[in-house]
Amino acid sequence: MFSTGFKYFFGVTVLSVVALIMSYALLEKFALGGVGISFLIGVGALLAGLSAFTSDGTTRDANTSTSDLVTQSMWPLVTAIGVVFLVLGLVTSSIVFFGGVVILLAALSEWMVQAWSERASTDVTHNSAARKRVLNPIEFPVLAAVGLGVVIFSFSRIMLTVNKSTGAVLFIVAGALVLVAGTLFAIKPNMKRSVGAAICVLGALGIVAGGVASAVSGEREELVEAAAEGHFSHAECGPEESKYYDKLSEGTLSLRSSVSATVVYQDGELIANIQGLAEPQKSLTVGRSILTNIIFRNATPGEFRLVAHLGGDTATDKSTDGKSHADETCTQLVALGAEQSLTLKISKPSSAENVYYLYIAGTEDKKIELVVP
Amino acid sequence: MSRRQFDIRLSVTIASVRIVLRRVFRPLIIVGGISALSASCATNAPQDTWQPKGPNSKLIDDLQQPVFAVAGIIGLIVAVAVIYTMLKYRDRGQPIPEQTHGKPALEITLTIIPALILAVVSVFTFGAIFKLAKTDDTEMIINVTGQQWWWEYDYPVQNDFGITQPIISSGQLVMPVGTKVLLRETSRDVIHSYWIPALNGKRDAVPGRIQTLRLEADEPGIYAGQCSEFCGLSHANMRMEAVALSKEDFAKWVANQQAPYVAPAKDTLAKQGEEVFLNQCVRCHQVNGLTRADGTPAIAAPDENVWSGAAPNLSHLMSRNTFAGAMFNLLSKQCRDEVWNASSDVVGAKYLAGVTEQCLNQKDLRAWLRNAPEVKPMYANPADLAVSDGKYRGMPYLALSEDDINKLVAYLITLK
Repeated sequence: MFSTGFKYFFGVTVLSVVALIMSYALLEKFALGGVGISFLIGVGALLAGLSAFTSDGTTRDANTSTSDLVTQSMWPLVTAIGVVFLVLGLVTSSIVFFGGVVILLAALSEWMVQAWSERASTDVTHNSAARKRVLNPIEFPVLAAVGLGVVIFSFSRIMLTVNKSTGAVLFIVAGALVLVAGTLFAIKPNMKRSVGAAICVLGALGIVAGGVASAVSGEREELVEAAAEGHFSHAECGPEESKYYDKLSEGTLSLRSSVSATVVYQDGELIANIQGLAEPQKSLTVGRSILTNIIFRNATPGEFRLVAHLGGDTATDKSTDGKSHADETCTQLVALGAEQSLTLKISKPSSAENVYYLYIAGTEDKKIELVVP
Repeated sequence: MSRRQFDIRLSVTIASVRIVLRRVFRPLIIVGGISALSASCATNAPQDTWQPKGPNSKLIDDLQQPVFAVAGIIGLIVAVAVIYTMLKYRDRGQPIPEQTHGKPALEITLTIIPALILAVVSVFTFGAIFKLAKTDDTEMIINVTGQQWWWEYDYPVQNDFGITQPIISSGQLVMPVGTKVLLRETSRDVIHSYWIPALNGKRDAVPGRIQTLRLEADEPGIYAGQCSEFCGLSHANMRMEAVALSKEDFAKWVANQQAPYVAPAKDTLAKQGEEVFLNQCVRCHQVNGLTRADGTPAIAAPDENVWSGAAPNLSHLMSRNTFAGAMFNLLSKQCRDEVWNASSDVVGAKYLAGVTEQCLNQKDLRAWLRNAPEVKPMYANPADLAVSDGKYRGMPYLALSEDDINKLVAYLITLK
């Protein structure tokens, strides 16, 4: 009586109405999601009406048994696995729980489409083609992304394990192998697809195996030590005492536009170059509560850091534990010719009692005034 | 359902839809068309992009006039061709003519001609873009910061213009005529876009970025603008004005902005207003030089109360003509018209006169102080601030008494 299409879209519409009512009842306000669900209700109802009007989806011969058309399916098994992960996740970790949700949704979607396609007609080949037409555009990109992600993640584990020199060699080798494989494919266009696939699979398996081995053996020692000494949260604006903090500073910056000023330490002088002003400046105006990017460029032999003194006591007034003043932030040590960015956000205006300035650590007399109006 | 039944149903449905479209949309199209045509005839249109008042906007105008002409002619030819084809070959029940595919000569011609036109347009467009992006000939810089829903201007120290200490203002950008001004734009919250049509095109103000925009005015005057990037509830009310003054008048304006704070005389209503300001307004609004009873500077803390971390600095408020993101005039209509309609040789003097007690637009200022969210849509309901970490976006309702409002108005009028 009712077409398959009508039943499907009618079901979507009814579920959407229920979802809308529940969201309104639970959230106690008509959120943006409610607007989306309302549109879904409209679209579902329209498509249901069109399906009923055109009898769309009723392509199956009702007198033919479909029992011979049903193929074996792995999706019930995958669904069960998803449920297991879901339940395990409830008592272990949220990652397992969300993994279970993803597996469950994917399996149910696949199962639903497969069940639908097996009843689309009496022709098994047609049914299989219908399933592929619906799911392949989703399956292929998702599987490719997952596969690529696994390979990249495995490669990153390898790079975290081997030392820097070996890492560079590995990159060269990997690039060379890609070049060789590409060249091989180019000069042998008639090569069997299976050979090409085998090469790619072997390469991927090799990287994944290397990644697993690297993950088991752990990161290289200096990274472990750097993490242990608080490398990522470290902010030492005085003389450097940590072993690793300043040893990985960048030599160049991609940040070239959107900077408020480029501060240069040259010939023992600290100057600010501000876009639009021809002459170097000794003061820099920074708006209140605005994210302000500054580039620090070292043009003096040696390694120096730029420190922003943001109020409070003077920079030389160190606390008893030898740490810098809490109202200071700084770059890492920057070598000759290198540069780093420093981002400031100052919420209080400067005044005679509240002075802000930039200076080079160790040479407090070289200053650039920060004016916050 | 048989195929024939389906076709009949479909035909009936299409016919019904056509009738509805004719009855509903035809009048709408006619009324809309007449309205749009009438709007193009407006004489009082301060944001008209076809009336450039500076070299940068003239550069754009010199580009857009011929491009618009060429595009208009092409558009007209295409429209006539389409309408002619629709009418001449419309369905009258005749058999479908023989279908042909491919006519290389025609297709190549129809590809090359537009490509050539676009190539010519692009040469001039790129030229204009590069000229408008120049910064090395700048004579003056002004930092412009957008936030919901007002613009802040700060003038860094520039001794050539007598600016020996930073000046901070809002609503109205004041600049000297005949001077290449470079705006350094950014934003404290969401993306805004600065646009004074008479002086240049648009430039987005993006948080964390500095974007530059050249401005230069040929003659003294006031040029209106509007935020042109949707930025939230009161985007439509986020206006701005550029005030171009002669260099002499600009120097006077700078001197006034740098003048020290003058506290109201004791035992006056204005002095009581200063106390109300210290108790209520200074939580967000800074007045440079204002001190508390114990002599300590009154430092505003908008970062603790406002989502963007800033509220307009009200130093020398009455030297401006607008408030609340230039949505309201500080001048009464008559006084406002006198400034706006003044000739270029006297507009500076009239503007510098500021807001006198006689010219103060008390109605809008009092309404603003009485209940700001009622006159300008803002996110200022204390019950709905969870998403902004308890901070306001806009000015909240302060529950000021009429007595407090009287005192505040008396105080604000002293901020010359």
